[in-house]
Amino acid sequence: MNNLFIFITSISLFFFIINRSVVASFSSNDLIGVAPQDEVYYKELWSSGGGSVKCRDGSKSFTKAQLNDDFCDCFDGTDEPGTSACPTGKFYCRNAGHSPLIVFSSRINDGICDCCDGSDEYDGKTNCTNTCWEAGKVARDALKQKIATYQQGVTIRKHETDEAKISAAKDEAELSKLKSEEKVLKGIVEKLKEHKEQIEKVLEKERIQKEKEEKQKKEAEESKLKEQKGEDKVDEPVKSDDDKADILDNSPAGQEHAESALEVVHNAHASLDNGEEHSVMEEDTSEVAPVSDPDTGLGSKGEDATKDIDSLSREDLGREIGSRWTGKKTEQQNHDVDDVKNDDRTSVDVQDEESNGYDTETEEDHQNYEDDTEDHMDDVADEANDDSSSSYNYEPDEEVDMSDIESESNPSWFEKIKKTVRDVLQAINPLQTPVDTSEAETVRKEYDEANGKLLKLRSKISRLTKKLKSDFGPEKEFYSLYGQCFESKQNKYVYKVCPFKQATQEEGYSTTRLGNWKNFEESYSVMLFENGDNCWNGPDRSLKVRLRCGLKVEVADVNEPSRCEYAATLTTPALCLEGKLKELKDELEVLDKQQPQIHDEL
Amino acid sequence: MKKSIHYLIYLTLFLSYLTTTTHSWKKEEFRNCNQTPFCKRARSRHPHSCNLIPSDVTITNNGDLVAKLKTKPNPDQDSSDDHNPDLEFSLSVYKDGILRVKIHENQEKDKKRFEVPDVVLDEFESQKLWLQRFKKEVIGDDLLESFVVYLSDGYEVVLRSDPFEVFVREQGSGGARILSFNSHGLFDFEQLRVKKEGEDWEERFRSHTDSRPYGPQSISFDVSFYGADFVYGIPEHATSLALKPTSGPGVEESEPYRLFNLDVFEYLAESPFGLYGSIPFMLSHGKSHGTSGFFWLNAAEMQIDVLGSGWDAESKIALPSDQKRIDTLWMSEAGIVDAFFFVGPKPKDVVKQYASVTGTSAMPQLFATGYHQCRWNYKDEEDVKNVDSKFDEHDIPYDVLWLDIEHTDGKRYFTWDRTLFPNPEQMQNDLASRGRRMVTIVDPHIKRDEGYHIHKEASKNGYYVKDASGKDYDGWCWPGSSSYIDMVNPDIRSWWADKFALSEYVGSTPSLYIWNDMNEPSVFNGPEVTMPRDALHYGNVEHRELHNAYGYYFHMATSDGLLKRGGGNDRPFVLSRAFFPGTQRYGTVWTGDNTAEWEQLRVSIPMILTLGLTGITFSGADVGGFFGNPDTELLVRWYQVAAYLPFFRGHAHHDTKRREPWLFGERNTQLMRDAIRVRYTLLPYFYTLFREANVTGVPVARPLWMEFPEDEATYSNDEAFMVGNGLLVQGVYTQRAKDVTVYLPNGPTWFDLRSGAAFKGGKTYKIEVTDADIPVFQRAGTIIPRKDRFRRSTVQMENDPYTLVIAVDSSGAAEGELYIDDGKSYDFKQGAYLHRRFTFSDGKLTSVNLATLGTKFLSDCTIERIILLGHSSKPKSARIEPSNNVAEVELGPLQIRSGVQSSVLTIRKPNVRVSDDWTIKLL
Repeated sequence: MNNLFIFITSISLFFFIINRSVVASFSSNDLIGVAPQDEVYYKELWSSGGGSVKCRDGSKSFTKAQLNDDFCDCFDGTDEPGTSACPTGKFYCRNAGHSPLIVFSSRINDGICDCCDGSDEYDGKTNCTNTCWEAGKVARDALKQKIATYQQGVTIRKHETDEAKISAAKDEAELSKLKSEEKVLKGIVEKLKEHKEQIEKVLEKERIQKEKEEKQKKEAEESKLKEQKGEDKVDEPVKSDDDKADILDNSPAGQEHAESALEVVHNAHASLDNGEEHSVMEEDTSEVAPVSDPDTGLGSKGEDATKDIDSLSREDLGREIGSRWTGKKTEQQNHDVDDVKNDDRTSVDVQDEESNGYDTETEEDHQNYEDDTEDHMDDVADEANDDSSSSYNYEPDEEVDMSDIESESNPSWFEKIKKTVRDVLQAINPLQTPVDTSEAETVRKEYDEANGKLLKLRSKISRLTKKLKSDFGPEKEFYSLYGQCFESKQNKYVYKVCPFKQATQEEGYSTTRLGNWKNFEESYSVMLFENGDNCWNGPDRSLKVRLRCGLKVEVADVNEPSRCEYAATLTTPALCLEGKLKELKDELEVLDKQQPQIHDEL
Repeated sequence: MKKSIHYLIYLTLFLSYLTTTTHSWKKEEFRNCNQTPFCKRARSRHPHSCNLIPSDVTITNNGDLVAKLKTKPNPDQDSSDDHNPDLEFSLSVYKDGILRVKIHENQEKDKKRFEVPDVVLDEFESQKLWLQRFKKEVIGDDLLESFVVYLSDGYEVVLRSDPFEVFVREQGSGGARILSFNSHGLFDFEQLRVKKEGEDWEERFRSHTDSRPYGPQSISFDVSFYGADFVYGIPEHATSLALKPTSGPGVEESEPYRLFNLDVFEYLAESPFGLYGSIPFMLSHGKSHGTSGFFWLNAAEMQIDVLGSGWDAESKIALPSDQKRIDTLWMSEAGIVDAFFFVGPKPKDVVKQYASVTGTSAMPQLFATGYHQCRWNYKDEEDVKNVDSKFDEHDIPYDVLWLDIEHTDGKRYFTWDRTLFPNPEQMQNDLASRGRRMVTIVDPHIKRDEGYHIHKEASKNGYYVKDASGKDYDGWCWPGSSSYIDMVNPDIRSWWADKFALSEYVGSTPSLYIWNDMNEPSVFNGPEVTMPRDALHYGNVEHRELHNAYGYYFHMATSDGLLKRGGGNDRPFVLSRAFFPGTQRYGTVWTGDNTAEWEQLRVSIPMILTLGLTGITFSGADVGGFFGNPDTELLVRWYQVAAYLPFFRGHAHHDTKRREPWLFGERNTQLMRDAIRVRYTLLPYFYTLFREANVTGVPVARPLWMEFPEDEATYSNDEAFMVGNGLLVQGVYTQRAKDVTVYLPNGPTWFDLRSGAAFKGGKTYKIEVTDADIPVFQRAGTIIPRKDRFRRSTVQMENDPYTLVIAVDSSGAAEGELYIDDGKSYDFKQGAYLHRRFTFSDGKLTSVNLATLGTKFLSDCTIERIILLGHSSKPKSARIEPSNNVAEVELGPLQIRSGVQSSVLTIRKPNVRVSDDWTIKLL
């Protein structure tokens, strides 16, 4: 029933009155299939002179004898509202007790009961029982349920939009606070740096002085020795001292330190990254080469990719040839000989396993990706590093460190650092010589700490800026979804939808990216994720999430209608709109109004 | 840096893609003639090298003419050397001008040559004319006498002695030749023999080795068609209807037409290369003789050359006749000569003659003639439900929803993936409640899995094809390691058929029908993606000997299974990809894995017409093209043409985007709905034509020359085709076409079914087209029955009234037929059908009974509308007899659509019953 072309008509009292007067003049049998509000259209047929009525498309006119006479006179079906004679006709069933329904003329007397009141089957060949009362009750109950959901949903939504405004304001405030802190901290760092450099200069001077002295001393000794043994070289200690100085000399912006620290991390993963890069390239060769025609999307391995199929084992040959139809890569088929069923998917998963094997996400499942290490990394990378081709994995400790600036419950860190720095600056006079080495050490330490904090602060600012730039809907109703992920398990797959970020499909330890956050569509009723992992022989994966009103945020009905084009629904209070609630209420009112009528008739 | 490396890789890949793009087809993975020793040998043989002479010519008690073919003693050679034993020759004559010639070797050997069973109808034997005697005649300057026997009225057969030749001619010693065998002396029959010392019989192709334990056994010969302008037939090739020469002066040298059932990945739209099925039946047609045909019943690999004129000029031997003719060279790897010659002389005579040997098309159920919706794959029950309901939502009729391989549990046929399809019965019953059917796929490769009941039984009972060493052949297909049921054995076929019982096929219901794919058979790791030729079948028959018939037996067994399931009274519906002569008796075929390209839409027409000419009328191509994504215009055009072709199914590869008719916007939904609806309105006509095909063998979709054999302009036209004798359909095969060129054959007037406008025949017109439809014309002199009401499926149309469209010819006359039965059972064989003939002349339409068995079928259907095209007067009413009622005559539309003009004469509501005799006279 739901599948049919459904028209729910609201019938106003006004029409009821008119109908009564019209109906009085002709039997309702003549006007079978006509909606009550349309009955007036046919009024002229009953006029005293035996009038005629124009077809709605204006093509012709017809008489009372031609009305519902099972012969199509009006090509738009005006004269045959109650028969199947006109292909474009529509039949109205009253469905007393339920909602009226308009069905295609093709349904009339076709042996299938389409209207719950059975009025579409009147030729006596098919017996339809009137199910409107039951169906209507079910529909009304469902509608009531829906209204209840909407009612609650609207409240939640209201609350959430209010909250969102507060949170957004808080975030804004936080951001400006962070920005001003950044400014101050930047000043401190610069001062410390200056201080540190001065100390270092002094130290350097002292060192050179010392060196000179030592040199002289040594030369004196050497000349003594020379006299005994002859010449020798003693450059080395000097050089090692130079090295030391280099390390201590932390570059102008103080960023090199961070950079080199990152470099270490980077290098630690370099081999992994390379591995990944490599496997991606391998995929490319096997994936791109076979595409023979981008227009048709035909996939076939080109001559080059045909390899030397003669050299394959019988089994591999079978797989290789079969893969032309399935689009499945033979190298990967070895993994799932026993489960050819999920051929395409499996192959992709295997690839992902290869390329994502080192992705932290597969090991740690962060529900809240804001804490996700990867995210921090991106921000830091943006600030501190221009090398766009690299991707980093954070050291978990870094994140722990982060908490000291992140925790809003502990705002004193900023004051603390200011105080400490002040103390340090006051206590240590860089121009005083000889420098106390332990003091120099303190300055250096303070500088490192402050500088590290500055970097973290900047990353936080960048993240927050990014968040605040996002489109959360006209009333910021989607604000609370930021930084959240929602999962749905379907058979062996876990689908994870992270609004404003990305969507994935996980099977065991392998993750397939269904898409990156694109935007909302269809006036905030659809979320779009695009440019996911590429499908062999197909497009990049994408996901379209249809939003529905619901009290909880939940992902459901994940589907793949076309290959690699996914669809899902997400319930959220954000979609529980007041206007829609009103519509539903009106709808119920119309349904309820019909009820007394059916009682009358029964 | 990394980036630039990436770009470099992409660039390289792009360049390599550019160079390989046109040939996704893996040519080198298939043998060409030169790599096929028997073909290479036969092709290099010189004309007139045959040195056989018939001797001991006698008429047997069975009414056959028999002879021994002896090797002519060669004066230049030592006769003891390499002397072949005699061959056995027999010649039989059958009713309606059919000659059968068999040439065999002495069978007293360990290895028997394979003769294809179960193809020639049992009834055919009963049509043999018992020869009583032969005449002797000296042909030309021959030294030896030849033997002449009667063939049919006006035709006789000559067995010429020296040179050895068999030909059919018009009666009398000077009679024009029709067909001949070995006129160019290319006949060669490699007899089985003992391997010589040091001889290597193995054949290697790529990584495969064919052990060829019986050595060379090929056969080749030439066949000439006289009075021929073109030859046609021998499917399956993606090529033109009229076969182009493959060899000869001025002919671009090409491969011969290959007949070897193969699963070809992404086949090309123009190639003599062999595809999924093989029918070694060729027709010729020409202005001077008309039509004749030649059929070689042989299931081994065959290669056929169509020789361009002058091909044998170098031989400098006088031609057997100076008549215009087309010579052909037939080569087969094994088997025997079992050849049928059909004299025609009309196109329909030849297809009827061929049908009397191999059978006519099975009568399909009515639902099967509607629209079918398929995709690899409708994934689960919800998907099925959704697609089904979308058809209703958009008011688009369809009859069958199909499930491809993914519905099974790991490609184990007869099973279901219960995660995706937990309640298959319920799903089918739900479809059936709206009159719709489901089709599931069942392929011949059986997963080698001990837990799979089919495999367990088949391996236990030894039902698998064996490899050369005698073990169950183990190949690779969808399920991985697989074995193949040996369907050549009737007992195994019977076992297989039982698997379709509702109790055996768990999850099946009576509304479920079957699709046989991959039955060439496709073997992913076999030579040329099929089974090794030295694999062994029942009766120690090598696969090489019956390869082309393997899919036929599988199809037969499946069809028998559905027949059994329905208690013998539910007409089976089985779609098969592989085919062989006789396939038409078991079901439907389609043209396999085509591609979403305009040229593939274009070539689907000659492919389907050729199938129709060679017996298999119920065929079609995947609408939209299987591989790739059709652009919307192509998809719409494909629907518009395919709606007029016998088998009408949309299908797509799993890598393609969804393409159900409602996915391309309102306008295109409308266009595809209109196309599908046109098909449904014409179903009464189609069903009548399917019945005609079932009775006579004349196809539903016909080349123009079949209806207009005298009109030379039609002979090589394969863009347009006839549906029955009444409709001419011209497809649109190019993008953004504003007009198309249509040739309307000479003779009748033609009525454009969009406007009702009349066009004179014998001319080429430039016809404007819009996206709304393709040009279709009704031939003057015909009456076409329609049902103009739209329903969900054929089931709901049962009681709907008819419309008759009468296209009046220049003498004011027209006629047509209507066949009706219950649309599903075999009760029609007991007379439960209606067959009416409508004739119109002198302003009077008459309906008379054509049923010969008396009417046991009742229909309350009436005729609601009669449309007259080309009628000169303007009557106001019509009187109906015997009821004496009067019906109004007015101007009405040719097709009911919003916005059409009321421009054609219409008898309004005559409301006569189709089952009654009546006349309607215009007043």
